[in-house]
Amino acid sequence: MKTINEINQKIKDGDAVVVTASEMTEIVAESGPKEAAREVDVVTTGTFGAMCSSGAFLNFGHSDPPIKMARTYLNGVELYSGLAAVDAYIGAAQPNKDPELGLDYGGAHVIEDLIKGKEIELVAEAYGTDCYPLKHVETLITLDKLNQAIMVNPRNCYQNYAVAVNSTDETLYTYMGTLLPNYGNVTYSSAGELSPLINDPYFQTIGFGTRVFLCGTEGYIVGEGTQHSTDVERKHGVPTTSAGTLMLKGDMKKMKPEFLKAATMPKYGPTLYVGVGIPIPILNEDIAASTGISDEDITCKVVDYGVPRRERPVVKETNYKELKSGKIEINGMEVPTSPLSSLKKAIIIAEELKRLIEKGEFLLTSPIYRLPSKGYTLRPLEIRKPSILVRELESKPVIVTHPDENIKDVARKLVENNINHIPVVDEKGVLQGIVTSWDIADAVAKGKTSLRDVMTRKVIIAREDEPVEVVARRIDKYDISGLPIVDSNNKVKGIITAEDISRLVGKKMDRGGESI
Amino acid sequence: MKAWLRFLPSIIGKAIISEAIKKYDIEFNILRAHITPRGGKMLAEISGPEERESIKFMEEQGIEVNPIIKVVKKDKDKCIDCGACISLCPVKAITMEKDWTVEIDDQICIGCGFCTKSCPTKSIILFE
Repeated sequence: MKTINEINQKIKDGDAVVVTASEMTEIVAESGPKEAAREVDVVTTGTFGAMCSSGAFLNFGHSDPPIKMARTYLNGVELYSGLAAVDAYIGAAQPNKDPELGLDYGGAHVIEDLIKGKEIELVAEAYGTDCYPLKHVETLITLDKLNQAIMVNPRNCYQNYAVAVNSTDETLYTYMGTLLPNYGNVTYSSAGELSPLINDPYFQTIGFGTRVFLCGTEGYIVGEGTQHSTDVERKHGVPTTSAGTLMLKGDMKKMKPEFLKAATMPKYGPTLYVGVGIPIPILNEDIAASTGISDEDITCKVVDYGVPRRERPVVKETNYKELKSGKIEINGMEVPTSPLSSLKKAIIIAEELKRLIEKGEFLLTSPIYRLPSKGYTLRPLEIRKPSILVRELESKPVIVTHPDENIKDVARKLVENNINHIPVVDEKGVLQGIVTSWDIADAVAKGKTSLRDVMTRKVIIAREDEPVEVVARRIDKYDISGLPIVDSNNKVKGIITAEDISRLVGKKMDRGGESI
Repeated sequence: MKAWLRFLPSIIGKAIISEAIKKYDIEFNILRAHITPRGGKMLAEISGPEERESIKFMEEQGIEVNPIIKVVKKDKDKCIDCGACISLCPVKAITMEKDWTVEIDDQICIGCGFCTKSCPTKSIILFE
């Protein structure tokens, strides 16, 4: 049994034994936790991952005449200004107001540019008050000129996370990166055995007041992060899915650009790569055992991001040893894996923190209270009016056609039924293609007679159990006007058009009006 | 060697490549191709003992052959070695080294651009 004070004394004396979490895994495997606890004083962890839930409080100082900023922009990125007159919070995930820059330059990029010492354009608007008469201000700022720039990240360092895959036949652009169709690739975003909260899964040493390495300087844990959850499935003590989180705080003025990086997940949005290292004091055998965990013993779940629902289907379980090997097996196929967080940087951070502690430049703190390790589950957001599923729509009897049907007969069907879309099916009713009234007009103009020549074979479909909002997004994404509804056997059950959806939206709004 | 082959509209109807393959016994691997009635271009890997002669022949037949030295480059200052690109590469030109550095093999790369579009820090440059 050791105390943090004793370890700090060893650090000051230059006698502390500090190892990284990867080194500790080897030590525990070789000598066992008892011996490791005697030998090692501190284990350093590290992670360098995309953490959207990051940002900073900035204080700009008062202008003359003064202004009470109501809308504030830095390089075209809006900050949250509903604080006092010249305070604002910049969120890393905020896109640019200029649609040309959009997701390419957001809040994270402003934060990085500030830390790099670049000059940033500040534009602020106000409504004007007796004490704050100015209504508009435009100037240039730098990090040095700000009174405070305090990074406060509401949710960092997720304790484990889902692994992403895509079962659909379209490429998906997600916060887990680009996901290729038909289980084409796998992405994951945890540093595994180096990851801070995985090395102390029950928060025996981590809590409010723990001094950490944050983006190149010292930062502090200011409590559990948002979406902190504890009562999840565990293996070897470690959650098998996303669980604990941290709220972190640090002085942006002391941060180093090499330990943070602005990024944009393609077609998703801006995010900030945050570098965090947490020292774990080895107070006893139990903690030594926890820090000795290996990639192989950290289980995680491969989740299908092709299903845009809260509960996404779990495809299989895997572990970080398999993921880091570069490929895993899914449905008998070998699928390449991509990390999204930088393992190279995670190692550099764990090594840097080790170096700082060994040099006596980084002392450990005793937390005022430890993070909660039980009793926290996530509550979902219940929507009072639940989503309408495709199958619940009032669907007209579906008119279909067959690949061999004459174009003229198809034209007649469209006109007689006053419709614009007609799914093409085989004798069993299974979807083969689709034609629109435009396709038929085009075919007639070009003198084509066979439906096979004009039908679209790669059909965008709606499934019966999908919420209408998901289908609306698909209509918008592919710029189409209607899609066939199919069951699990690909049999056509109906058709849903953009008009159906707008009618539904209209109805919803009517109902909304009555309830006031 | 890797080269961009440019075709004028006047020659797209001729079977120059297959003739070159027959004549010079070269290995001709099409990496990317975009041919329209108004001409087009093709990225190809050409190899074999008579590689030079075959290129001379293609040029005489009207194909503009522009050898390329580099297809792709990683901006080392911007890249954080996350590896988001690795599983997207269709030809496995991107690998993770033992020290977790992301490396792109210019010889294997076919310049499809999938990695450049998906890089969170826009660190991969494609030469056209």
